[in-house]
Amino acid sequence: MLETLHRYGPDLLTGFGLTIFSWLLGTAFGFVLGFLIEIARRFGPRALGYPIRAYVEFIRGTPFLVQLFVLYYGGPLIGLRLDALPAGILGLTIYGSAYFTEILRAGFDAVPLGQIEAARAIGFRNSTIVSRIMVPVMMVSALPALVNFAIILTKETVILSMITVPEIMFQTQTMMSETFAFVTPILILALFFWGFVEAISRIGRRLERRFTHYLIDRS
Amino acid sequence: MTHQPAAPAAAYLRNVNKFYGPFQALKDVSLDIPPGKVTCLIGPSGSGKSTLLRCINVLEDYDSGEVRIDDQLIGYETPGGKRMAPRRLREMRREIGMVFQQFNLWPHMTALQNVAEGLERVRGLSRAQAETRAREALAKVGLGDKEGNHPSHLSGGQQQRVAIARAIAMEPRIMLFDEPTSALDPELVGEVLGVMKQLAAEGMTMVVVTHEMGFAAHVADRVVFMERGEIVAVGSPRDVFDAPSDPRLASFLQGYRERNSLDF
Amino acid sequence: MFSFQTIIDNLPVLIGSARYTLLISVLGCLEGLILGAVICAAALSHKIWLRRAAALYVSFFRGVPLLIQLLVAYYLLPVIGLNVPALVAAVLTVGFCAAAYLSEVLRGSLNAIPKGQAEAAAAIGMVPLDVWVRILLPQALKIGLPAIVNELILLVKASSLVTVVGIVEITRMSQSIAAATFRPLEIYLAAAFIYLAINLVIAQVGRVLERRLAV
Repeated sequence: MLETLHRYGPDLLTGFGLTIFSWLLGTAFGFVLGFLIEIARRFGPRALGYPIRAYVEFIRGTPFLVQLFVLYYGGPLIGLRLDALPAGILGLTIYGSAYFTEILRAGFDAVPLGQIEAARAIGFRNSTIVSRIMVPVMMVSALPALVNFAIILTKETVILSMITVPEIMFQTQTMMSETFAFVTPILILALFFWGFVEAISRIGRRLERRFTHYLIDRS
Repeated sequence: MTHQPAAPAAAYLRNVNKFYGPFQALKDVSLDIPPGKVTCLIGPSGSGKSTLLRCINVLEDYDSGEVRIDDQLIGYETPGGKRMAPRRLREMRREIGMVFQQFNLWPHMTALQNVAEGLERVRGLSRAQAETRAREALAKVGLGDKEGNHPSHLSGGQQQRVAIARAIAMEPRIMLFDEPTSALDPELVGEVLGVMKQLAAEGMTMVVVTHEMGFAAHVADRVVFMERGEIVAVGSPRDVFDAPSDPRLASFLQGYRERNSLDF
Repeated sequence: MFSFQTIIDNLPVLIGSARYTLLISVLGCLEGLILGAVICAAALSHKIWLRRAAALYVSFFRGVPLLIQLLVAYYLLPVIGLNVPALVAAVLTVGFCAAAYLSEVLRGSLNAIPKGQAEAAAAIGMVPLDVWVRILLPQALKIGLPAIVNELILLVKASSLVTVVGIVEITRMSQSIAAATFRPLEIYLAAAFIYLAINLVIAQVGRVLERRLAV
């Protein structure tokens, strides 16, 4: 077992790194895109509503794997020629944006109208109302769902192995097919995900405390 | 009904109509808001009092007629014309303070930040200036010692006083109060009404939608009774409460006295 | 050029392969419900080791990606001498995974049932199993219906992953057709829209059921 680890160690490390890297970028870009979509839906022209609705329904109604295939294998036909890794990150971004935008929508809807009216009555412009009032208030109700979805995205990240991104799943599969040893690679995978998800949950809880500090009694 | 042409109105409504789909919430309403005086709007729920109030700072769009603040039209560029540009509307709203039934403090900011935020972002004061002014406003409503508290750590009465401080800190020319004590426990009503009386005594122009007939009777200079989207009676508290000329007003007051079984 | 002809030519075969997608997700969901009810009962049990076991089960199957679970089943089962057909392995694995999520759905729904319901049943002398099967589960299924329908939709999408164990459902079929026709864009898009159609139908049926049950 030590011998295998010695031989595959560097590959596994690359795999860990790529998994975390793609997850990080996919989540961050997906969140930003989802946020922009929600702002466009809320404050943009009404005509934008339908295409956004269709986009969200399409992404949420189809498997991530098929979306990746469309992007990676179908993309070149319309001039979108991407390497596996950028294609995978773009895929995660698109996939994530549809879910993030729905979570953010529910969060914004939960901001009491009166708090927005109070800001309007004082004469705040829309951008100030969003950044100073709506986002901080929304984050309290939306954060658990956002963190939860970020965790779901860690599991979608392994699907990038299906378009040959050499992330952790891809590396362990190679390891399995070459050594015919299954227990060690699977143990490695399980431990990795357990730690990965646990770390994200912790960061999520810390963020939650940061955003809800004013609800906690300090006296 | 008495007219008071003496001083020009601080604000007035002329033939204002407001529809919610087929339902007409305001029917051809005209009203002068005299400067430096307290105008109380009373009437049964659903009579259009709050709608009227919210049309004054155009939180509610009115459909036709004119609303003017210091003779300047608000909500539309010209009477019956194009909607006012958002920027211009924001500028006019700075001059109109509003206090809500549900306080609507921002939960993620301390009392001080709630008051200072508008001074900083809308009036463009520096952080230090804004906080100084905000402290003065908080002291005025008797909450100088609570500036670091978040709304969740204030009583309802204290929250409403912070909301009043937030409005007066902007130094508005008119203050609108939308049932400011209706969401409060009875024992907390007094502290809020006290602050409002003090403001009235300083000569603030105030429009108050209220169910507190005692406040209307003792503090108001003019009382406006509304029913079904119309102004039915306007007059001094004495005219309205002691000698109600209109039968609908008389029966409204009768009902109120029976429910509360007290005299005023 | 985007070739609609390719899509039209291959649509019947693609739609035909949807029967495996449906088979795996529907059977997986049923298995998940039954097993999920058992796990939920364990999670609410008075015996601490049952609660621990349920918690461990849920955290494992929710924490490890389904793709990995499928590979475990595919590689590991033969090693321990279980030579089940790929389809059976796929349905079982998908169902094991669904059970983890559905047990949580059921637990949430059970919490929403007033305590008095179980007490009333116990008061007239029902045995605990009857209380569960006759009183609590039917109500929990009704309350949890939207979440269960949602889980079925997730399973339809997740079933695309069983390509890795070689079952020719929609995604695997589209891979072969794409390779044969050199038209991946059209074929994968067609596959995506078939999934979308299935899920829209499931969502609609769910809404109708919900209205029916909401008497």
